[in-house]
Amino acid sequence: MRQSASSNGHRHSGPPLIKADGIWKIFGRNADKVVGTPDADLPRSELRAKTGCVAAVRDVSFDVYPGEVFVVMGLSGSGKSTLVRTLIRLIEPTAGRIELDGRDVTAASHDELLQLRRHTSSMVFQHFGLLAHRTVLDNVAFGLEVQGVSKAQRHARAGEVLKLVGLEDAASQFPSELSGGMQQRVGLARAFAVDPKVLLYDEPFSALDPLIRRDMQDEVIRLQEETGKTTVFITHDLPEALRLGDRIAIMRDGRIVQLGTPEELVGSPADEYVENFVRDIPRSHVLTLRWIMREARAGEEDGPRLDVATTVRNAVPVIASSERPCCAVDDGRIVGVVDKDAVLTAIAGEE
Amino acid sequence: MAASSIAARPGIVLEHRPWWRSRMTIVAAIVGAMVICHLTLSRTLSWPDSLVWHSLTHYLDNIQNWLAAESAKTDPNFAYRLIHWISSGLDALVRWLYHLLSSWLTWPGTTLLGGLLAWRFGGRRAAVIMVGSFASFAALGLWDDSMQTLALMLVAVALSLLVGVPLGIVAGRSDRFNGLITPVLDAMQIVPAFAYLMPVVIFFSVGPAAAVITTMVYSVPPAVRITALGIRSVPANTVEAALALGSTKRQLLWKVQLPLARRLLLLSVNQTILFALSMVVIAGLINTEGGLGAPVTNGLNSDPALAILAGVAIVVMAIALDRVTEAIAERTDTAKRHLDVAGRKRARLATGAVFLSIAVAAILGHLLSAGSAYTRWTAQDWLRTQVQNALDYVQKPTTFLFKDITNPVGNFLVAHMLQPLDTFLVETPWFITLAGLAAIAFVLSGLRPATTTILMFALIGAIGEWQDAMDTFSQVLVATAIAVAIGIVLGVLAAEIPWVSRAIRPVNDVLQTLPQLVYVIPFVYIFPISYVPGLIASVLYAFPVVVRLVERGVRDVAPETVEAAGAFGATRLQTLVKVKIPLARDAIMLGINQGIIMVLAVVVIAGLVGSGALGYAVAAGLQRGQFGIGVVASIAILAMGIALDRVTRGNRSAAKGGRS
Ligand SMILES: Nc1ncnc2c1ncn2[C@@H]1O[C@H](COP(=O)(O)OP(=O)(O)O)[C@@H](O)[C@H]1O
Ligand SMILES: [Mg+2]
Repeated sequence: MRQSASSNGHRHSGPPLIKADGIWKIFGRNADKVVGTPDADLPRSELRAKTGCVAAVRDVSFDVYPGEVFVVMGLSGSGKSTLVRTLIRLIEPTAGRIELDGRDVTAASHDELLQLRRHTSSMVFQHFGLLAHRTVLDNVAFGLEVQGVSKAQRHARAGEVLKLVGLEDAASQFPSELSGGMQQRVGLARAFAVDPKVLLYDEPFSALDPLIRRDMQDEVIRLQEETGKTTVFITHDLPEALRLGDRIAIMRDGRIVQLGTPEELVGSPADEYVENFVRDIPRSHVLTLRWIMREARAGEEDGPRLDVATTVRNAVPVIASSERPCCAVDDGRIVGVVDKDAVLTAIAGEE
Repeated sequence: MAASSIAARPGIVLEHRPWWRSRMTIVAAIVGAMVICHLTLSRTLSWPDSLVWHSLTHYLDNIQNWLAAESAKTDPNFAYRLIHWISSGLDALVRWLYHLLSSWLTWPGTTLLGGLLAWRFGGRRAAVIMVGSFASFAALGLWDDSMQTLALMLVAVALSLLVGVPLGIVAGRSDRFNGLITPVLDAMQIVPAFAYLMPVVIFFSVGPAAAVITTMVYSVPPAVRITALGIRSVPANTVEAALALGSTKRQLLWKVQLPLARRLLLLSVNQTILFALSMVVIAGLINTEGGLGAPVTNGLNSDPALAILAGVAIVVMAIALDRVTEAIAERTDTAKRHLDVAGRKRARLATGAVFLSIAVAAILGHLLSAGSAYTRWTAQDWLRTQVQNALDYVQKPTTFLFKDITNPVGNFLVAHMLQPLDTFLVETPWFITLAGLAAIAFVLSGLRPATTTILMFALIGAIGEWQDAMDTFSQVLVATAIAVAIGIVLGVLAAEIPWVSRAIRPVNDVLQTLPQLVYVIPFVYIFPISYVPGLIASVLYAFPVVVRLVERGVRDVAPETVEAAGAFGATRLQTLVKVKIPLARDAIMLGINQGIIMVLAVVVIAGLVGSGALGYAVAAGLQRGQFGIGVVASIAILAMGIALDRVTRGNRSAAKGGRS
């Protein structure tokens, strides 16, 4: 398993914005007495039978770099929601250390935590969590309201953000009057209104119809491109993860079983669990030339040039029509070559 | 969703026991054994005198004497001063409000106040209802008494909310506090009001304060419960979203939880009012300053027609306040009413106009010396004559109604149900009765309720109330049996046949808004036969609840289950008997539990009108100032209430436990 995010060409600017180090969350009485004992390594059901505790998150570590979209994926019950909530201590982690924007979340006082939640992070929820008694505008302004921003200012800002998500006409309506997709747009606007550094999404589109879901994914990609926010995105839908994620962590029974770029997951699944997930994904849609290229030999530098991040699928017409192997370039420098064999092997691996 | 409800249902496995092990058979066997003992053993073995704690009454009288002594001192101790401070404060508050309604605003001002407030916040229909109710107080010639009652109720309701809503908020946010307060609230609602009249009077003496406190004991629990429910019903994901944005606990409460719990908070106001109103008559017993309760209780013997008119006024007040608060809850829902800036300004102007016109009306009232209470042109005399005529007709021994319906029915109830049961309970040796009751409790609900039963009935014996308690107990059993039988039949019919449900609902609504004692009045005349009025009144008071719970239980049976039964070719009757009713068992048990507690409450109140037994002892204690006797009877009522509640409730949890 190849690690390190640099392999997908994503450039980190500076140190990680989110650092999660050895997070545990165990629900139940005497939960703190489980971590560090051999019991902690028992399978979930055995632990539950023995101690009555549920190990929702087990020894999870990861870093998220500024501007990155970090996706956490797994079946329902694998601990994703619990994990994302521990990041801002909506759920207290049982053990582990979390850093957000250089500050130690785990050691933060009550007030520091409030400030963190108000200014550094924002969250979008699966079931929207809108306030039924407030208009759309007041819902979007809620984050600013709890910060103590004046009414005129927060309404102005909320109006701006509503325009950003295309809901400026719904400002005076109530959430119950909107469709599910529109409600989640309000949820997005509410999260963006406070201009946070970090956005946390907990399966935001799982409750929506497939067509609308696709729409909303486009919306997130667009907002992401416009604002470049650091994002942790939870989902149980692999295509969604592959579309949005710079890196993806796959969780099972509370643990991360594989962490890597989309092509790492598709190209070399760490175990059967991950393989089952990625089996139906067309590899050529995900794998890039970086994944299948080999060292350039002398004299091969004159083939057609393609960016190293081009997916195999998009490279096929060029490679097929060329007599010579194709050169993969990164920043104008040739980093490898791809020939027809490599492409055919990659595509054949799909069956 | 569907998957989870299907998955949840198969957990319900009905018990299959051989007939000789079924609960009912065992209970029947126990009763049979008791009857045999009753017939064979000596009949003089009532609770032995040597086991009675005779000096209890004396001690209780001492408390009263101590309070009297403290009040005479120039420098009374802290406890007395605290009690006195509360009591005089409440007295002053009620009196002040009464003066506000009556002498300052005068009747035109008060009518306008009620009508315009209802109009401004509840809409036109609410205003019509409100003004209509004031008009009927005037027409009944009971304006002054109505205002007394209104003042008392407003104070009691306001204080109940002041106490209940904050407690409910805490209970809604903390599971621990909720666990602590729930049994206390249960106790407050199980105890028949009659049982705590005596202690309240001892500490607060008679007057508005005692009436307010008595009312509050009953009306605080719904305020707490419904508020807590409201806080808890706020969706968890909304709370989480607010926390994720950095809300403090306080912001969460004021900006999220309270606004979203709005509907239930207003329902808690509505229910607090109705619970408070149902205590009017009882409160009237200990409030010496007038109100609608007094004509009811006094009139029972001297002027029955007036008592009935006062009862009507109470009912009108209850219905009006219920409908108006409901309308207000509906109309002020911000999520339903879009107010733009102009609309808000108009609303504010309207509020201003309302208060201005009330002031004008009050001033005009004074200038034209309209008088504080409405006294002119009432229909009281005419109505009284009519009611009296009707009562005379009902009571004439030669009429068809009396000769062929009420007299035989009443006599049958007494001769074939009440008396045999009473004789059986009283004359069977006490230890047999005690053991039999405990055994039945054990079979029905398990060890702990059985222990409670033994302890509670032993307590009743020890304080010397065995005989009276058995008397009351037999009335409770007969009334509960009748109420449950009627309730189950009507409930099942209502669940199965839509028009029955539609027909029953308004009757149920009215029966449930009536104060307990108001039921009793008509039957004192219609069934003037010993215990029968109390019996019938308690049946009427209790059966609507049974109907409602049974109807809901039968309705709530999962449609998949019913469908499956249909797919196997079950007829409608088979489906009902073999599927729906067994599956609705929990709801039916809950109905029995609620019914028996309500029956007990009315049976003891009926002591006022000659149902004797424990209720009579309390009434006598109140009227003659024999506090010790009254309190001892109160303790016996309380003990019986706890035992009956535990036994019927235990069944519910046992049924649940057995299934999961
Ligand atoms: N408050 C809680 N108490 C006990 N167990 C919980 C609680 N919340 C979640 N769990 C358990 O933790 C596990 C992970 O849950 P969750 O994080 O919601 O998973 P996911 O979001 O991946 O579906 C599940 O087995 C769940 O039952
Ligand atoms: Mg989840």
